Amino acid sequence: MVFNSLTFVVFFALVLLAHRLPLPWTAKKVNLLVASYLFYAAWNPPFVILLWISTIVDWYIARGIWNAREKSRAVRRAWLLGSLAVNLGFLAFFKYGEFLLQNWQALMASVGVEYVPPAWDIILPVGISFYTFQTMAYTLDVYLGRSKPLDSFLDFSLFVTFFPQLVAGPIVRPGQLVPQFARPVQATRDQMLWGLALMTLGLFMKVVIADSGLAASADAVFGADKPVGFADAWLGTLAFSGQIFCDFAGYSTIAIGSALCLGFALPDNFRMPYAAIGFSDFWRRWHISLSTWLRDYLYIPLGGNRGSEARTYVNLMLTMLLGGLWHGASWTFVVWGGLHGFYLAAERWIRSRTGVQGDPAGAWNRLALALTTYLLVNVTWVFFRAETFEGAARILAGMAGLAAEPAAVLPTVFMIKTGVIVAGMIAIQWLMRRRTLEDVVARAPWWLTGLVVAAMLFAVITTQGSGEAFIYFQF
Amino acid sequence: MTPDEVITRVIPQQRWRAAAWLAMALVVAAVAAWELQMRRLGLRAGDLDDSRSHWAVERRKVATGEHDGVVIIGSSRILFDTNLDAWEEMSGLRPIQLALPGTNPRPHLKDLAENSDFAGLLVVGVTPDIYFTDWPGIPLFAGLTDFWREESPSSRFGHRVWIELQRRLAFLDDAYRLGTLIDRAVPLPDRPGVRGPIRDVWKLAEVFDDRQTTMWPRLETDEYLRDHARWVWGPFNGEPLVEAADAERIAAESRKHVEMIRARGGEVVFIRAPSAGLYLESERQGQPRARTWDRLLAVTGAYGIHFEDHDTMRDLDVPEWSHLSAASQPKFTRAYVELLMRDVPWLREHVARRAGP
Repeated sequence: MVFNSLTFVVFFALVLLAHRLPLPWTAKKVNLLVASYLFYAAWNPPFVILLWISTIVDWYIARGIWNAREKSRAVRRAWLLGSLAVNLGFLAFFKYGEFLLQNWQALMASVGVEYVPPAWDIILPVGISFYTFQTMAYTLDVYLGRSKPLDSFLDFSLFVTFFPQLVAGPIVRPGQLVPQFARPVQATRDQMLWGLALMTLGLFMKVVIADSGLAASADAVFGADKPVGFADAWLGTLAFSGQIFCDFAGYSTIAIGSALCLGFALPDNFRMPYAAIGFSDFWRRWHISLSTWLRDYLYIPLGGNRGSEARTYVNLMLTMLLGGLWHGASWTFVVWGGLHGFYLAAERWIRSRTGVQGDPAGAWNRLALALTTYLLVNVTWVFFRAETFEGAARILAGMAGLAAEPAAVLPTVFMIKTGVIVAGMIAIQWLMRRRTLEDVVARAPWWLTGLVVAAMLFAVITTQGSGEAFIYFQF
Repeated sequence: MTPDEVITRVIPQQRWRAAAWLAMALVVAAVAAWELQMRRLGLRAGDLDDSRSHWAVERRKVATGEHDGVVIIGSSRILFDTNLDAWEEMSGLRPIQLALPGTNPRPHLKDLAENSDFAGLLVVGVTPDIYFTDWPGIPLFAGLTDFWREESPSSRFGHRVWIELQRRLAFLDDAYRLGTLIDRAVPLPDRPGVRGPIRDVWKLAEVFDDRQTTMWPRLETDEYLRDHARWVWGPFNGEPLVEAADAERIAAESRKHVEMIRARGGEVVFIRAPSAGLYLESERQGQPRARTWDRLLAVTGAYGIHFEDHDTMRDLDVPEWSHLSAASQPKFTRAYVELLMRDVPWLREHVARRAGP
């Protein structure tokens, strides 16, 4: 189920109620586990089986790896391959099957073999990329000797399935969450109210800003089947940059808020990413749980920056290319990742040549670099949002002012809305670049906090979206 | 903090209880004021949105056989112009209303013919500038032929809750969301070639249980809204121009599906509901009857009712030139049901069988 649905409102109220009943801690955890399975099954019941398989396989494989710690590395590697085969096998079949077939077809056609693949009518299980990465992290940690297997199957199952972050993250590590299951927790009154305030903020970002404020502009520009002009191309892309941020950061904020209402803490997933100065800074602020996952389980095992300079660039590029592919089964996502890899490599090269580390001196310099970073990130969003390279090329041509006979696409009211919202979003992120939301709220008078929460909740209620899915669900 | 450390979250120091009470009071007051304002604008509690889920509930009744054998498909005219109570009163049968605004019914005719065992009476509303084109319809209702089967449990449950809220709150109306109102607040001039949200269809009807859809009373009395609707339907230049070859192809395709339903013992009838004013003139230019409606009946061999052929359907009120007023709706329904009961053996026999010896 999606957070911005009435079903979730009813579900969450019941979960909160059950969690506050005077029951033993184990019973409360069982309640949460059952609720998490219901949360997932409410979308498509049979796919809960995938969760169960992933849970059981990694539970036993991690123990197998641990029990084989005195044996040869080959034995432990064989166990690990079992986990990777199941989890990546799920991804390969459900997420990349059609993509692989299409590419095989194109490869055969390039050597003159006509191959028509069977129709691939497979539904993508929602959030599969998130929970497979989470379970793999557990097994990899045991394999790499970073941790030992958990003692409680219930705690492990809840770690895999915990509903606030099940389908779109944050991707949590065992060490971050599992210890919280060890002792009884109950949200304090302040935790509960702050959690509800965060949920309101997340819903506002999703329902009011992403869906109602920006989606139409992005859809109009990226859905146009004709060349678009400079203003339309930029506004459509800026609208998408705001839409995907508010959609995904909104989801993460609701996830964090709902977990907090139950007494659990989830990590931040976004920290004002559009105020980033440079791309390494951007990736410390955007989808933090994925970027750290890729760093710890891909970039570092590949060698990280421990080898030659050339090898570091190769590792960086490989990590970002695979990170791009993680987002979707399309070459446009690979190009998106490749562009970010190129940006990171270029920044690394410039910093190593100039010796400049950290932020540059001077507020105007920082602002100029932040805006440059944001504009270059927007170029990557074109490949993320466009469904084809032709579509991406059309938008990029418009952004470069090179579109032939461009057509006007955006209604005036959409142009104004996009401009106002994006400008506001950038200004807020810039002003809060070095501050957390918690800092800002702590300094605000109580009545202002109440007023802002009320305004956001009123806007959510009167906008009443139809429960559209979050963009990141498809990943 | 490293990714392996237990997470802790800072709770901002704040007078949370006071802030929460203030927020709650403000939201309750603001929503109450909003509700009053929406009622003042003519919205009413009990007016349900015509959503995908609302349609799917009706479609599943056909699949499970929970119906009296009559199903209506079509675009908005047969939807707005049919009164289900009048149908039931006259025939004893309550139709399932599956017509969809701004949507071509041909995919639904095909779906019922090819993917179901439907063997009842299918009433197909024909809006010429939609039926005789390959335009599938507005995105909102795209893919419904699969959606009703695949709708998630979460969506089904959420729809039930939503309906219960809509029975009590008037402001929960798709056409009067905050975002929609902002888009329409100031009618800004658009650049050439751009069709802004002000040119979108606004609220035309109220929707009730069983998808009974009736023209919104305010549309009949508010000249601005009525003229706006007419403006949206424009520019009345005869588009889309339906070529004879396309009309023949579409009629032949319809015939195939009509025959499939008949082969199972069912029946299909076509109804051309009223239009008026410049809209009707435009249809006469772009989709002339001889090329479209007459050929459809000739090729399919189906029974059809065209509003221009019957005196009882002539002087009906079509405020915005495309849909009947609330008062004319039952008149038109009675008129066409009477003809169906007279001329369609399937309906006559079915009604007689239900009435018993």
